Amino acid sequence: MRQAGAYSNLLCGGISGRTGPHSLPLARIKKIMKNSSEDVKMISGVAPIVFSKACELFIEELTRRSWIMAIDGKRRTLNKEDIASAVIATDIFDFLITLVSNSDATDANNTVIQMETI
Amino acid sequence: MSDAPASPGGGSHESGEHSPRSNIREQDRFLPIANISRIMKKALPANGKIAKDAKETVQECVSEFISFITSEASDKCQREKRKTINGDDLLWAMATLGFEDYIDPLKIYLTRYREGDTKGSAKGDASAKKDVQQGSNPQLVHQGSFSQGVSYANSQVTLLSL
Repeated sequence: MRQAGAYSNLLCGGISGRTGPHSLPLARIKKIMKNSSEDVKMISGVAPIVFSKACELFIEELTRRSWIMAIDGKRRTLNKEDIASAVIATDIFDFLITLVSNSDATDANNTVIQMETI
Repeated sequence: MSDAPASPGGGSHESGEHSPRSNIREQDRFLPIANISRIMKKALPANGKIAKDAKETVQECVSEFISFITSEASDKCQREKRKTINGDDLLWAMATLGFEDYIDPLKIYLTRYREGDTKGSAKGDASAKKDVQQGSNPQLVHQGSFSQGVSYANSQVTLLSL
């Protein structure tokens, strides 16, 4: 049975060719999970699949909320400030406040979570 | 002496100025921007445009989101003295951190994914039959290992009864 080539299917970004139409690459998700803490040692096979969909939901929600900010500013191009405004206006996005407000320090902003004093 | 706080072997570290985090390559820290851009476009009306800096910000936010949820799930595993983070840990972490709206779509997605997997093997029956007899169908073997052997066992039964 022939396996699809790595680039033949735009929607397929998996590690094994049997990962289905996930919109985000599972191997990369796994790496980011491992980078998030030294305590993260083992990850079940289904965990990156959960994240591939969860990240999609997250991106869609963040984009929709940011779009409202762009429209409020009478613009039709989403920019960085719209993302920041949406983050500030949404409670569940509080964990991103440090990231979006340190616009010139993004390089120094590693994936380490900064939850203090929020 | 006090002027030289560097370690005695400092000479060999002259080019090691960069911080440890720069050892993590960019492509290991972020999801591909093309994928992120595609998902963002889906959420916008047809006339909506996206600036590059917006895509990059969302890219960073997504990595932060993964770390945020993973850390919470990892803490739970440590409390319960388990070593492996599983799907339920992630769902629990999302619910705990305010993303309970994601739970139902995720459950539907996982169910559909598993069903799709099973159907996939059913579709491949005609050609898979031969392969199984030869004992060399990587697709079925992989699938079996993913769903704890259940679907593999099922598809074998189906194949044998054909």
